[in-house]
Amino acid sequence: MLIRTQLAGANGKVLGPDAYNQAMTMHGVTMIFFFIVPIGIGAFGNYLIPLMIGARDMAFPRMNALSYWIFLASGLFLYSSVFLGKAPNCGWFCYTPLNTRQFDPGLNVDFYALGLIFSGISSTAGAINLIVTVFKLRAPGMSLNRMPLFAYAILAVSFSLVFALPVLTVDLLFLELQRKAGFHFFDVAHGGDPLLWQHLFWFFGHPEVYIIILPAMGIATSIIPTFAKRKMIAFPLVALAELLVAFIGFGVWAHHMFATGIATAQLIFFAGASMMVVIPSTIQIFAWLFTVNLGKPDFRAPLLFIGGFIALFVIGGLSGIMFAAIPFDQATTDSYFVVAHFHFIIFGAAVFPLLGGMYYWFPKVTGRMYHEGWAKASFWVTFVGTMLTFFPMHIVGLLGMTRRIYTYAPGLGWEAYNLAETIGSFLLTVGLLMVFGNLLWSRFRGVPSGPDPFYGGTLEWATTSPPPHYNFAVIPIVRSPYPNWDREDREDDVRRFERGQLVLESGHETPASTVRDGVLDEVLEMPSESGWPILLAFALSIVFIMLLTTHYVIAGIFIAISALILAAWHLKEPAEE
Amino acid sequence: MSTASYAQRISRPIGWWGMAVFVAGEAMVFGALLVTYFHLRIRNNPWPPHGVPEPKVAVPLFLTGVLVSTSGAMQYALVRARRGFASDARFALLIALTLQVTYLALQLHFFVDDLSKFSPSATSYGSIYFTLVGAHHAHVFVGVVLTAWILLRLVRGITSYRLVGLSAITWYWHFVNALAIIVTLVQVSPSL
Repeated sequence: MLIRTQLAGANGKVLGPDAYNQAMTMHGVTMIFFFIVPIGIGAFGNYLIPLMIGARDMAFPRMNALSYWIFLASGLFLYSSVFLGKAPNCGWFCYTPLNTRQFDPGLNVDFYALGLIFSGISSTAGAINLIVTVFKLRAPGMSLNRMPLFAYAILAVSFSLVFALPVLTVDLLFLELQRKAGFHFFDVAHGGDPLLWQHLFWFFGHPEVYIIILPAMGIATSIIPTFAKRKMIAFPLVALAELLVAFIGFGVWAHHMFATGIATAQLIFFAGASMMVVIPSTIQIFAWLFTVNLGKPDFRAPLLFIGGFIALFVIGGLSGIMFAAIPFDQATTDSYFVVAHFHFIIFGAAVFPLLGGMYYWFPKVTGRMYHEGWAKASFWVTFVGTMLTFFPMHIVGLLGMTRRIYTYAPGLGWEAYNLAETIGSFLLTVGLLMVFGNLLWSRFRGVPSGPDPFYGGTLEWATTSPPPHYNFAVIPIVRSPYPNWDREDREDDVRRFERGQLVLESGHETPASTVRDGVLDEVLEMPSESGWPILLAFALSIVFIMLLTTHYVIAGIFIAISALILAAWHLKEPAEE
Repeated sequence: MSTASYAQRISRPIGWWGMAVFVAGEAMVFGALLVTYFHLRIRNNPWPPHGVPEPKVAVPLFLTGVLVSTSGAMQYALVRARRGFASDARFALLIALTLQVTYLALQLHFFVDDLSKFSPSATSYGSIYFTLVGAHHAHVFVGVVLTAWILLRLVRGITSYRLVGLSAITWYWHFVNALAIIVTLVQVSPSL
């Protein structure tokens, strides 16, 4: 909002250049690392995955707690920089040499590097947890081909995180070694290479984009069948496409670097790989459209948001294909055209399904319905606001406006478009306030929804709303990808509950299945609640604060303390029979 | 759960899966380090630069051979522990631990010795050399701590919980040893 107000007219005075840089960097870092990814994976993934696969909890509940506390601590760590006036100011990808001590002597970049390493621990732990949960904790009978598509999306995301985040961590470690210990990874004078930073960053950075978009695709494939009242068409293809998007995402990083003078052969390889992303994306788009088309669609608010998502995804995708063409990219790189492209993807395509998903699962989480009329209205306001904010950016980009400028001179023909964008951003804010206002009101005043208001196909609708903390009183047995539509199976569950079969003791046991076929393998005893994860997160926060302020000895002491906490954590074993 | 239910289990336990995925991420850490090594090497001639001694060959290769042999001891410990022979497992673990600690102590000695000859903050060769080798030693150190930990746990007998722990730690060691071979070959490669 501040950014748009500043750019509303020429020669804006709302923010100075330094404040603008800080605001812009924090906007990027916050949205990518501390908003979309945690909401998509942390909130939706963590809450829904166990429900959808018929498990009682995540595979490692205490590691889940640890992941949450570290995420919180790293967020506080990074935001404390704002209050110290030392927020990162180098843009979210923080290129060398601008990030070296010579050009950025303050703590700003150190907050960025250490903050992201810190939050990376949380994301890695979360991703490992999700992968193992999806692999091992599926309900009996849920073989891989009967796994919900949302679980496929989350699986793809988690693998991307596990493989991409370490590379970012290494890159940030190099940066800190260079800044704090005088190592030479990125400066040419001592045999380093500034492009190394970009290669490693984008090797992480492009999969990160798919990490952002894939939960959204997973949400779309959950909402569409429910409201179209039929199964997804091309189910295996869509599952495969979700995995392929994540896989190809690792082979396209240099398309962020077409204008950096890397070799032509590299350019062509990455242009080709980037165009390949079109294939799995298009498979999914057509599968969604045909599912809606062949079903009996009921355009309630969640489906409306998915419709908006598909429209915005297509626009953002088309401008994306344009960038895969090397000459076009070289002409428009670092212009507002790029800003327009990635906001269509990251805001339009990633956030719209999140909003739709919030409406869709709201009854499940709270047991109350949202207000349908307001929800539809909020969709239209948000959609128009999004278009008005981001579409003119294409035009000013082509008119030559470069990204990341904090002001511009009058008379370049940019004023009207920028004003429209600013008005759009206010409209967008109103739309988002309507969404959250609706949910807040419905939380207390909404009509009770019952367990299954939409007649959804996946297992989360088979339990009560809100679900009990053990999710399922009796573990369901699954025989299709949409088990909640197999009524006789669910009636079987009730009969087994009465007979006491697969009713596991006091919610602390959950079954584990084989990875491929989902055959019931063993019954796991879930660990009890524990205070160790929060203590460990606290000790690690002190480690990072000491690293920031170059108190290495104290940091070392607290690493040792963290190890002791880990030992204490594992000292108590589950009871033997 | 009893050891009986461990025997009935037909697929790998969740603890093993957790370690396997974690190790995959760790492999990416070293992937990034190795890529950086060669990225910088292509851009610098000579490598190592003037004034920096060429890396020794025989000693690191011998030490790595010793370290890799502990994989066998760890695996033997796991196999014997699965059959319930706690004392065999403890003995194998003790041998592995002794070799690992000796390895780490000697390597740290050479690391400090290298530091006295050339500096990580003078050339990019020094930067990546010490970062790569240091990262590897850090992983060996973590492995040593884990081995000592599981050895102490096994003093009080075998449980299914400790068996999962032992299999995860053994798996981690196989990974560290595979890394040791690659990292050492890269480390000595300028002298070959």
